[in-house]
Amino acid sequence: MAFLDMFGKQKEIPTATRADDRLSLVLSYQRANIDEEKLKLFQGRLIELCDEFGYDVVGQVEVVPQSHERTTIINASIPVRVKKDTLL
Amino acid sequence: MTHKSIAITVTSGKGGVGKSTTVASVGLGLAQLGYSVCLVDTDIGLRKLDLMLGLENRIVYDLVDVIEGVSKLRQSLVRHKEYPKLALLPAAQTRYKEEVAPEQIKQLVDDLKREFEFVLLDSPAGIEGGFRNAIAAADRAILVVNPEIPSVRDSDRVIGLLESANLKQIDLVVNRVQPGMVRDGDMLSVERVQNHLAINLLGIVPEDKRIIRSSNTGEPVILDNKSMAGKAFSNIARRLTGEEVPFLELEAATLITRIKRLFHIA
Ligand SMILES: Nc1ncnc2c1ncn2[C@@H]1O[C@H](COP(=O)(O)OP(=O)(O)OP(=O)(O)O)[C@@H](O)[C@H]1O
Ligand SMILES: [Mg+2]
Repeated sequence: MAFLDMFGKQKEIPTATRADDRLSLVLSYQRANIDEEKLKLFQGRLIELCDEFGYDVVGQVEVVPQSHERTTIINASIPVRVKKDTLL
Repeated sequence: MTHKSIAITVTSGKGGVGKSTTVASVGLGLAQLGYSVCLVDTDIGLRKLDLMLGLENRIVYDLVDVIEGVSKLRQSLVRHKEYPKLALLPAAQTRYKEEVAPEQIKQLVDDLKREFEFVLLDSPAGIEGGFRNAIAAADRAILVVNPEIPSVRDSDRVIGLLESANLKQIDLVVNRVQPGMVRDGDMLSVERVQNHLAINLLGIVPEDKRIIRSSNTGEPVILDNKSMAGKAFSNIARRLTGEEVPFLELEAATLITRIKRLFHIA
């Protein structure tokens, strides 16, 4: 097989799609003027906010800036449960 | 002519992507179409347009001389011999960008607009003083980008800076496209670049070895009728005058596809 491989071109995985994905992320961070540090603070504040509104955060909070045209959309996914005491 | 004069800055952020090449060829293209054109080299200290146009030995005065009142604007312009509708205001070679302020360039460009239908400003690399000089005077901008991550990222920052400087009309030129690599999935396609930057597409220029010949001779590649890049620049010039010109079929340029077509397998 190795012998045959010498003739056939080694198939490499195309890289443009990766470039595209990396660019999406890089640009949305750059446009939102955001970095990991800022995102962490953002997540912290969201958890506080949920607490204030009577929710317990029960999983990983995710904040993802995304670019659409030249506008940034900040998507936050916050798994919550209503606090026991507020139900009473 | 009833055409309203317009100043266009050609810019990029990241250096070496093809701004000066674009200015030289598109400028010449507009002159070929019969418009009066002045090219302003704002890359003070690192001038290049004079070389690209083969005018390097005819420079007496430069942009800084005009601003400092050492010379009159008209006597500082270098006319192209074959296309006298094309003039160049060269950059100073032995000065620093900081010696010129944006308002001074604006005044100068306003004066040029009284005489020329198109004023094209070649910007230096970067987003410092020289960049601000080149955008202060412009009515619109052409952003030159290569289909690579660093170039696209910098271009995106530049769009933000242009927009905050109230320059709203920004057109995209994607330069150094290699259709074969795009086909193989190893180069960002023009569509992808345009989707990221979300501005109007003005031109697609292929990678072209003949550009080196043109830099050897000092004849912009638009004069080379064997050059696909030259054809692309000519289309850009026509689009700037308002003409609708379809984008080049770059694939047709590759030898392999031509052979494949010959055998009906592509
Ligand atoms: N389409 C192309 N195909 C091949 N080579 C190219 C192409 N466009 C530009 N080049 C080459 O790339 C180099 C840089 O081009 P150019 O000087 O126009 O860039 P620039 O953006 O003005 O650079 P700077 O930021 O230093 O002013 C030159 O050597 C030029 O010949
Ligand atoms: Mg240049």
